[in-house]
Amino acid sequence: MARLEPETVAGKVIADSGVVLLDGPGGVAVAMTADAARETGRRLIEAADLAEHQPPEPA
Amino acid sequence: MRADTTERITDKFLRGRGRQRLSDDELALLDRTVDRVRELPARHTLVRTGDRVKTSTLLLEGFMCRYIDDHAGYRQLVAIHVPGDFVDLHAFPMERLDHDVATLSPARIASWTHDALEGIVETRPHLTRMLWFSTLLDASIHREWIFRMGRLDAEGRIAHFICELKTRLDMVGLVDDDRFLLPLKQADVAEACGLTGVHVNRVLRSLRERDLMTFRTGQVTIMDWKQLSALGQFDPGYLRGGL
Repeated sequence: MARLEPETVAGKVIADSGVVLLDGPGGVAVAMTADAARETGRRLIEAADLAEHQPPEPA
Repeated sequence: MRADTTERITDKFLRGRGRQRLSDDELALLDRTVDRVRELPARHTLVRTGDRVKTSTLLLEGFMCRYIDDHAGYRQLVAIHVPGDFVDLHAFPMERLDHDVATLSPARIASWTHDALEGIVETRPHLTRMLWFSTLLDASIHREWIFRMGRLDAEGRIAHFICELKTRLDMVGLVDDDRFLLPLKQADVAEACGLTGVHVNRVLRSLRERDLMTFRTGQVTIMDWKQLSALGQFDPGYLRGGL
């Protein structure tokens, strides 16, 4: 049994019928409008920049 | 002597999942204690959340579901029922349901009063155990649905959903050469798999283009069971087939 860890593989993202579909990693399966996807992307990048400079949680 | 005639109301009950453990006498008793058999139109709500329920229903023909609506009115299907399933046997001990029960297609149902079930519980321990077993199968399926929603992506969820339905319908003799009728809309699949309609449409197109399966006008054809079941991480053990 493996414990859930942060994903190291990016989710698949496609545009279809005017919406953005995010599939994976894991159980992620989300459809967003273009605006929501753009804002989510911006927030993800912002959080990723912060996370890179944070110390990891002790095991 | 076992007389598995097609005239029985309970003909599909536990078929492929332990029906052989029911004696002819037990099956005859179930048939004899049916309160009524009736037909329902598609998209008909039979039980609403919180209603006091005094009967339990066996689905004879068609498809039914259990669902919960969120505060915004968006629906999550929490179970799909195929012929041979009791759709609300758990209402017998629970009295009130925490979800709605509705038809997806036109359906034929049989119902037992809870008084009649009480009589069975009091006098027929083996039959009671088998009725309990059927509700435990529901619980087993629910656990698998939690796994599906929690661990699988969109393709996996739909692959798993289709594999499960194919296996369950096969048990009751409703699959013909990897084809089966599934009178659901893509919106129903979406509500069962926690996806938007666009997402379901995209995934079904992808599965079709890769020659894994098709879902057209209420009929599913599976072309590559091995790949489809691998995609859905589908292991049919939880359905207790052949027990």
